[in-house]
Amino acid sequence: MSAKNLENLFPNLKQAGYRITSQADVDYNCVAWAVGDTRQWWEPLPGFYWPPGVEKEHSLAAYIRIFVIHGYSPCDAAELEPNYQKIAIYVDADGIPSHVARQIGDGKWTSKIGELEDIEHNTLGALEGEAYGIVFQIMKRKSSANP
Amino acid sequence: MNESVATIPMESLRLPLLNGVLAETHLIAEQSQRVEELFQRLADQWRKETAHLSLVVKKVMHPAYQRIIGLGPAAIPLLLRELQQQPGHWTWALRAITGEDPTLPDDTVTQAAQAWVKWGQERNYL
Repeated sequence: MSAKNLENLFPNLKQAGYRITSQADVDYNCVAWAVGDTRQWWEPLPGFYWPPGVEKEHSLAAYIRIFVIHGYSPCDAAELEPNYQKIAIYVDADGIPSHVARQIGDGKWTSKIGELEDIEHNTLGALEGEAYGIVFQIMKRKSSANP
Repeated sequence: MNESVATIPMESLRLPLLNGVLAETHLIAEQSQRVEELFQRLADQWRKETAHLSLVVKKVMHPAYQRIIGLGPAAIPLLLRELQQQPGHWTWALRAITGEDPTLPDDTVTQAAQAWVKWGQERNYL
């Protein structure tokens, strides 16, 4: 998808600052990307990967559980903290998780946009709006852990 | 044998029959063309409006996707052609229409698309 189309989908994106960092790839989605998996699409549906031990439902609790399994715990602040990795879960108007972003070393965020490209965006607000809703939960873990 | 029928020249029987078959073939081709055009319009709309979504459950609930499923068996070769050109989340529609699933549990989206293309080739859809 062109940058222009991304900017139409996410009206805050251009002003916040971003760059496209990969080609489009239908094989993985944002939650997979957040934990470092570029091979599988994670979703609690037949035909897709969903981690064992996590409720097979599209709920915030299930998403939080995924990241707890990966060593994260809920926190309040999205700001960069030395020695910590952070993720942010977005929810739509119905409270259903719609997106996950992962913080990178310089405090920016990386996101896989559906089946499209990976992007780096300067703020979490860059992707807030009609498409993904709002950031509802930040989680963090010690940065020595794997992606 | 009825004499009146026996005296009708064969040519006069063949021509209306041939015309009828041609008209029916033309009608089927026209309908097929209309289905294909509708499919392309719906598929383009669906891609444009859902490619950014991270949940397949939302993608497949899009009205355009549901209408494609509603096209029924006529959509099978069109869906398979889409998958042949580019892997995508069409397998849900194919499962819904055909009641079959040639994929393996651990398949990636790309591998699932390849399994469906093979399924279609074996059944002469492609």
